[in-house]
Amino acid sequence: MIIEAAQFLTILATGLFFLCFIFSIFFNVNDVNIIKLISRIYSHSFFLFLSSFLIYVWLAINDNFSVLYIAQHSNTNLPVFYKISSIWSAHEGSMFLWIIFLSLWGAIYNFSVHNNEPLKARTVGVISITTVGFLLFLLLTSNPFETILPLPPENGADINPVLQDPLLAIHPPTLYLGYVGFVIAFGQAIAFLIEGNSSINWEKQVRFWSIIAWSFLTLGITLGSWWAYYELGWGGYWFWDPVENVALMPWLAATAFIHSLSASSKSSILRIWTILLSILVFSLSLFGAFIVRSGIIDSVHSFANDPERGLYLLAFIGILVMTSLILFSYRLTILISNKRIVSLSKESFISINNIFFGTLIFSTMLGVMYPLIYEFIYDQKISVGAPFYNAIFVPITLLACLFLLFSIESKWQSKLKFAFLSNPLIISFVFSLFITFLSFKFYSVSRAWTLASLFIGSLIISRYIMVIYAYIFHRKFVNIYSVLAHLGLGLLIISIALNNDFSSERALNIKINETETYKNHEITFNNLQLSEGPNYESVKADFIIENKNGNKFSLNPEKRKYFVRGQITTETAIHASLLKDIYLTIGDQLDDGSWIVNVQFNYFIRWIWFSATLMIISGLFLARSLNRVHS
Amino acid sequence: MTVFLRVFILSVSLMFFYFFYLYIEDDKYYPGASFQTSNMPLFELEDLYSDGVITNSDIEGAHLINVWASWCITCRIEHGFLVKLSSQGIPIMGLNYKDERIDAINWITKFGDPYKFIIHDLKGELALDMGVTGAPETFLINNGKIIAHYRGEVNEMIWSDVFSPIIKKENLFNDN
Repeated sequence: MIIEAAQFLTILATGLFFLCFIFSIFFNVNDVNIIKLISRIYSHSFFLFLSSFLIYVWLAINDNFSVLYIAQHSNTNLPVFYKISSIWSAHEGSMFLWIIFLSLWGAIYNFSVHNNEPLKARTVGVISITTVGFLLFLLLTSNPFETILPLPPENGADINPVLQDPLLAIHPPTLYLGYVGFVIAFGQAIAFLIEGNSSINWEKQVRFWSIIAWSFLTLGITLGSWWAYYELGWGGYWFWDPVENVALMPWLAATAFIHSLSASSKSSILRIWTILLSILVFSLSLFGAFIVRSGIIDSVHSFANDPERGLYLLAFIGILVMTSLILFSYRLTILISNKRIVSLSKESFISINNIFFGTLIFSTMLGVMYPLIYEFIYDQKISVGAPFYNAIFVPITLLACLFLLFSIESKWQSKLKFAFLSNPLIISFVFSLFITFLSFKFYSVSRAWTLASLFIGSLIISRYIMVIYAYIFHRKFVNIYSVLAHLGLGLLIISIALNNDFSSERALNIKINETETYKNHEITFNNLQLSEGPNYESVKADFIIENKNGNKFSLNPEKRKYFVRGQITTETAIHASLLKDIYLTIGDQLDDGSWIVNVQFNYFIRWIWFSATLMIISGLFLARSLNRVHS
Repeated sequence: MTVFLRVFILSVSLMFFYFFYLYIEDDKYYPGASFQTSNMPLFELEDLYSDGVITNSDIEGAHLINVWASWCITCRIEHGFLVKLSSQGIPIMGLNYKDERIDAINWITKFGDPYKFIIHDLKGELALDMGVTGAPETFLINNGKIIAHYRGEVNEMIWSDVFSPIIKKENLFNDN
């Protein structure tokens, strides 16, 4: 009964959301009463939908296996935390969460933006229709409320063990918050296009929301990457997996978008870029949902595959995106600014970087689609791997970073003077050259791309440190959060390059009580223990590692077998230090009683997380400072 | 310039969506299906019901092999369709995967038995050799060769889109 009630609430909410959309299209949205009405209906329908979700969470906590989805993905033995996170461990439930977040952003927008704002009613309307589209998808093709009656099973089938990890429980929600957060930028862009009044400064209103969404997206991707690093046991942090790529594309577009926004919120220059990018970011987020949920692509992430779902999503996304683009073409003439972009101004460098970002998005899309096109024509499966992406991303990113440096020197709407070749740039140039030379000479960094990355990364960092210096001691105005975010970028480039250059691994065959040496570290296999966890049994190995200074520490890699699904997972053991991680995984036991143990030295990996964290935190603070100016 | 931009953006995006439409509509689009021919691994495993063993010689000719377990909920959803298939005279061998004997027998008693016989593969040995990743999975074998493999629930649609074409092509199950 309660299950049906929850489903009914969702259906009711769908109807009310649709009503919001209809009102925002056919009624006079400049009438304050109409705006109030739309806003109120939206809040009510969000409240109904949220209640439905909360009931569902309650059902999951109480092991209500009459619900098919809960029976398939949860289990009585699970801790409560995982019973809740099992909701987003597969298709139906995660779609449910996705839509909750979509409407949540709308609700926060609806709540916090004043009814006088010119685009509010239509923005809420656009958010509503997007929500309706996904709600219908949920109810018609992937109903999480489906029941097994009259005989529910006694116990559930358990959540996939690799997903039984605190980080992975929060990775999807943060990522979804980022993905769907751009619905506000999208809604405002569409509202702006429908309105067709070029004097409205929609960019200013949308900046705050977009930067928050960007921070969540970055956090979601970083968490996913971190999880992959310690859980999958391959020691890498980015695999160019198709699903990683479809998350990377909206991120790239979003990054270009928030940069263009900062230009066009000052003058309406670059408005074509901002509108187009706002549509692109959200379309790419939706495209990601389509790729993952249609099951077109085999990946760690792919969900159950049902062609009908793919078709529905494709149709809905296609209609939404095509309508937006037709609207965009229709209004193209009012978007064109009568001011020209001054060459060598800050705007010009931002638009050049937009082109670089566009190239990266296009290349990633090519990498994702090429195997599909190939399969479609030749009926053979091929895959596009890391070499392709590296060959494109490394040079273009480095080139874009050079333009970033010029843009630090340049000013809004005025030409860059040649005086920019003055002290700060020359100092940072010499400094970076020196750093690069040192690492070449004394740290045996010899690959050309590593040196180039090191050089460019140091250039960014040193130049921005001087900006901070001027900010503190000469009271020169800068946006300090943007500076910190870019410092993060510089650091990220250096750490990725050094990680790639220094890291190494070896597989050892080792018996208990034997010692092997790898790179000045003595690795002793101390013993092996069998133990039992709450829902798995495990083999835990104990290794003592001694480095050349005589420091000892122990590492305990583990292999687990989960009872319910019979799946085997490897738990890595990581010894983290400032410069490197020592990363141990155990494989199979050989016939002679020795074990295969994989040892990896992963350098600068912590720095990668640190750089990303710096970018995320700067993003959040930047949004906060914008909000303060705004109100 | 604006005309060019309009036409360019609209046509590129339209082509993009059209391609995915074609791709999805295409018959090949069943990620769970694979048609690589391989030899059926040699096995000698216990019968679920008796102390006897079942070996390769028991599955000569064309057979379906269905991997299932009592803990597998999708198997329960699939089960009705298998019963229907067997009533049409399709021989299905059950591969009971990592399951307790008593649970498996109870399950069959409760939901019906579409299988000619059932192998009890407690440790998943044969399943491992056959490349099984979970349950349910279904194999089509002919004269000691695996000719089709489907990961996931087999239902009316999967049967007619994935299995029927190859059955027709190879001219199997005709003697019934």
